[in-house]
Amino acid sequence: MKDLAHVMKLTVMEKKDIFLSIICGFIAGITSVGLFASSGYLISKAALLPPLHALTVMIALLKMFGLARAFSRYWERYYSHRATFTMLSNIRVSFFEKLEPLAPRIFQKYRSGDLLARIVGDVESLQNFFLRVYYPPIVLVIVFLSTIFFTTFFSSYVALLLLLGLILTGFVVPAWFAYSQRKIHSQVREGRGALSTEVTELLYGFRDLKIYQKLEKKEQQLTQSSDAYIKEQEKEGIQEMFNHSVNTMVSLFISWSVLALGAYLVVDGQLEGLFLAMLVMISLTVFENATPMALVPSHFEDNRRAATRLFSVVSEEPEKEKEPIVELPGQKSLSIEMNDVTFAFPDEIRPALVHVSIHLPAGTKTAIVGPSGSGKSTLLQLILKIRAANEGEIRIDGNSISHVKQVDLWAKSNVVLQENHFFYGTIRENLLLAKDGLTDAEMEAALANVKLEQFSLDDEVFEKGENLSGGEKQRMAIARAMLKGEHLWFFDEPTSSVDALTEQQIYGHLFQQAAEDTLILISHRLTGLEKMDQIIVMENGKVIEFGTFNELMDKKGYFYEMKQIEKSVLM
Amino acid sequence: MNELKHIAKKYKGARLFLILTAVLTGAVIIGQAYFFVAIVDRIFIRGQSFEEIVPFLGGLMIVLIARAALTYVSGRVGVRMAARVKADFRRKLLEKYSRNPIQASLQGQSGQKVSVMMDAVDEIDSYFSRYIPQVIQASVIPLMIVVTAFTQHFYTGLLMMITAPFIPIFMAIIGMKTKDKSEEQMEKLAAFSGRFLDTLQGLTTLKLFGRSSQQKEKIRESSIGFRDATMAVLKVAFISSLMMEYISTLGMGLIALELGLRLVVFESVTFFTAFFLLVLAPEFYLSLKELSSAFHTGRGSMGAAKKVTEELNKTEQAVMWGDASLNNGTTPPTVELSGAGFQYGKGGFAVKNIKTEIPSYGQVAIVGRSGAGKTTLLHMMAGLVGPTEGEILVNGRSLYDYKEAEWFDQLSYISQHPYLFSGTFAENIAIGGKADATHAEIEQAAEKAGISNLIQSLEQGYDTPIGEAGRGLSGGEKQRVAIARAFLKRPSVILFDEPTTGLDLQTERILQASIEELAKTSTVITVAHRLHTIRNADKILFLENGKLVAQGTHDELIVSVAEYRSMVSVQQGGAAE
Repeated sequence: MKDLAHVMKLTVMEKKDIFLSIICGFIAGITSVGLFASSGYLISKAALLPPLHALTVMIALLKMFGLARAFSRYWERYYSHRATFTMLSNIRVSFFEKLEPLAPRIFQKYRSGDLLARIVGDVESLQNFFLRVYYPPIVLVIVFLSTIFFTTFFSSYVALLLLLGLILTGFVVPAWFAYSQRKIHSQVREGRGALSTEVTELLYGFRDLKIYQKLEKKEQQLTQSSDAYIKEQEKEGIQEMFNHSVNTMVSLFISWSVLALGAYLVVDGQLEGLFLAMLVMISLTVFENATPMALVPSHFEDNRRAATRLFSVVSEEPEKEKEPIVELPGQKSLSIEMNDVTFAFPDEIRPALVHVSIHLPAGTKTAIVGPSGSGKSTLLQLILKIRAANEGEIRIDGNSISHVKQVDLWAKSNVVLQENHFFYGTIRENLLLAKDGLTDAEMEAALANVKLEQFSLDDEVFEKGENLSGGEKQRMAIARAMLKGEHLWFFDEPTSSVDALTEQQIYGHLFQQAAEDTLILISHRLTGLEKMDQIIVMENGKVIEFGTFNELMDKKGYFYEMKQIEKSVLM
Repeated sequence: MNELKHIAKKYKGARLFLILTAVLTGAVIIGQAYFFVAIVDRIFIRGQSFEEIVPFLGGLMIVLIARAALTYVSGRVGVRMAARVKADFRRKLLEKYSRNPIQASLQGQSGQKVSVMMDAVDEIDSYFSRYIPQVIQASVIPLMIVVTAFTQHFYTGLLMMITAPFIPIFMAIIGMKTKDKSEEQMEKLAAFSGRFLDTLQGLTTLKLFGRSSQQKEKIRESSIGFRDATMAVLKVAFISSLMMEYISTLGMGLIALELGLRLVVFESVTFFTAFFLLVLAPEFYLSLKELSSAFHTGRGSMGAAKKVTEELNKTEQAVMWGDASLNNGTTPPTVELSGAGFQYGKGGFAVKNIKTEIPSYGQVAIVGRSGAGKTTLLHMMAGLVGPTEGEILVNGRSLYDYKEAEWFDQLSYISQHPYLFSGTFAENIAIGGKADATHAEIEQAAEKAGISNLIQSLEQGYDTPIGEAGRGLSGGEKQRVAIARAFLKRPSVILFDEPTTGLDLQTERILQASIEELAKTSTVITVAHRLHTIRNADKILFLENGKLVAQGTHDELIVSVAEYRSMVSVQQGGAAE
């Protein structure tokens, strides 16, 4: 609910369009009632053979109502859609504002890549909020109240009946259905979840299922979940139809009552017979506006869920720095230290880092090596303040990292992660992210450093850099980091898709530029580490060895053995 | 569109039923108008007493109940039909996918297939649950009203006949004009969402370069720009409905005018007839409008249906098995490839004309650069993809003469990235063995695969649930689970895709020792990356570009095959750097 209130707040920002949508919606609704009321009156009047000019006036009125209805509908649609799209824009911006401080930690919490796609989908689905949930009930109530007010001039009993009808069809029945539908809704979602798991396992785990002959069983499970899911969807659909029909029934029943009551009053002499047809027409028309109300709860529920999902993603508070905040000195290399650091990802069975202590003096070059899943990248994330240690302390330039602003740390670092994003645009635009005021010559030189001189700065880059190969993206990311030119370097397997020869050439340029700087390189290869000041070997979240290349080779420990295996691996 | 129409034809009963309900609904709408009007007429014009109209009130009540009930029933039939179609589609897709998706999963299309099976199938729903019932109703009801109008008052019927065609004509004209534009807009919408997604996905990069705050304004600007572009298109759509409203208003106005004049000036129609027709006229135009909006509903489903049928029409080389028994006691079967090959679709990558023999207990290493076709060859030997040329002979007979179950009973396949299913450790190991593996057997297998220490260190031990695809386990640990599966199964043929990098020393040792032990009782065919494995092989199959360039032992090949020598020595040279 809180999240939907937030959406509401963002919607209300479009005051003018909302006001105009409601006004136009009201005019459309009320002229529609007017149109049918006058046609009922006209025909009754005609039956009494009035002078022709009276009839002409009525017919002119009828035409006017008809035209007014058509045009106000048009403007209602126009303004309400414009309000909706503006609202979506507000939501995107507001969501981005909230997400920004939480990135990139948040992305790791939801590892599956479809989270972001879902966010985008949820934002789009909120367009129904204003169009179908927010303003139609307002219009409905105003139209109804005006109609009821008009009706009181003829019969207060009929007016009361209409009021009762409004309460029933507009609120009581939809609310009752919303309540009863909740359970079905959640069963549909569960059904979908179960089926999705089965489908994913079937397709991704196919080979194992086939060889271990569990395919048939999986197929059966999948069919069962599919049938169960469809069954729930069917129930939901039928329930919706039922709601719709009941609401129609109730509104028709009210019109029936208006007719019966009207007839009784006419016979009783309390109502002029001339108005009976008009009142019946009013009742039949005004409830046309009310029947879509039966769908409001399900739209409401959808929107509520979308809003909740959307804002639950960003519900976390960004981490606050402790006072006093220390600003890291620029233009110099800094030391990094970790003391007895332990860290566990939420919901994982084991800690990712266990009692890790490392010491990297300013200006040194350190390589971190170890098997996949040993905690190398996690270690880097902790130093970069993407995640906070559960225990222990991290110091940068002697300051506890909790006093350092993430933004400040990043501003003074050149970082290449395993996944580096490239945006839709040109190579120039993507490189310009590194620093303002870079010249073409500088960028071209950077490309040459990473052996990408065949690219022009004007070359197009597709979304996510889809037109670049893995190796090209990695090299481009290194070029971008080199252009930034800060004095702390963090690399997470930056060349895993680059061949060994090119890698050596790139590293040559890199170490030349970073000669005075502090550098951490997570490496998947054990070659070319001879020049490093320190190699840290990790396994199962622990540092099991450290030292220079020669020290580790002489020790004949873990690193030495890994090196032996690497020598024997044919790529 | 045609696919869905074709399917809809199969549901004759449901369609007939829908037509019947539509006819009844039409009758009920006419009946409703009749009773309303009759009651007003009796009270207002004829001055009858309340008692006299009670039967009419009763009749009206029945008609109203019937109208609501018919709405429900027809909707329900639609929903039911949609459910059946969806179940049918999903079953067909499943049948298709479970036959041979290896090819697709090798080409990285599994994600796309998941989406077809989940979303595309769901999107078909509205075609059957809404579109078909709506179209049927909207075609039957106006017709019934026009006929009724003609019987009551010829000119009203005529006016309806004349004005009605303008609605579809205008729809068609405006539709044609806006179709391209709105499709273009849909593409823009997709592109715009894509950009927003692009920004979100690149947020880490933006932040690392301190650029994220600039993006906020960009998002707002492009959002508003997109809004204005969309509004331009929507305006046209709104004008189309404005025109429809206008035509129906005009039509109703004409009808009212004509009736009014006849009633007052010529006194040639009764109040009853005039009022009756005046009540029916809006129902007439309303159902015409619904027809046009129904087409809109249907369009969304058609794209989805196209996706699904395209998927179903794709031809994949299915593997057919025979029913011969593969009974060779405890000795592993011999495997022979006589000119076997496999091609991915027409003109795709192919592994060609492989000729080799693998004796019982043979130790074979498949060697080659990446992309040489090593994994494809392994899949072919496993019987996961049927050869598109030549044959695979097992114990001298075509592999596909045998019963599928008996062949796979002999087999274990240890891939570079074993898939772990959602379930516990015990379940994930047990998947390798017979259904009746005891807990002791599972523990023994885990012990041998060197994973038991890890499992026992966990609070729930073997009952610890492993998350989606083994989240939280390292690559080496997943490998060890796969090895445990093999130890439980004790196969006579092992296919092993040796990991290239990234394993911990413990797993490296366990893998070596395990394969050695398993090899005592089975034939082992390895896509080999380790010199150790290659040297120990009885036979090396050296592949280049899908062709078997040479076979023999390491010592033989190093002498006789230049490419092999260069491949191995480059590695040695690289390592010596």
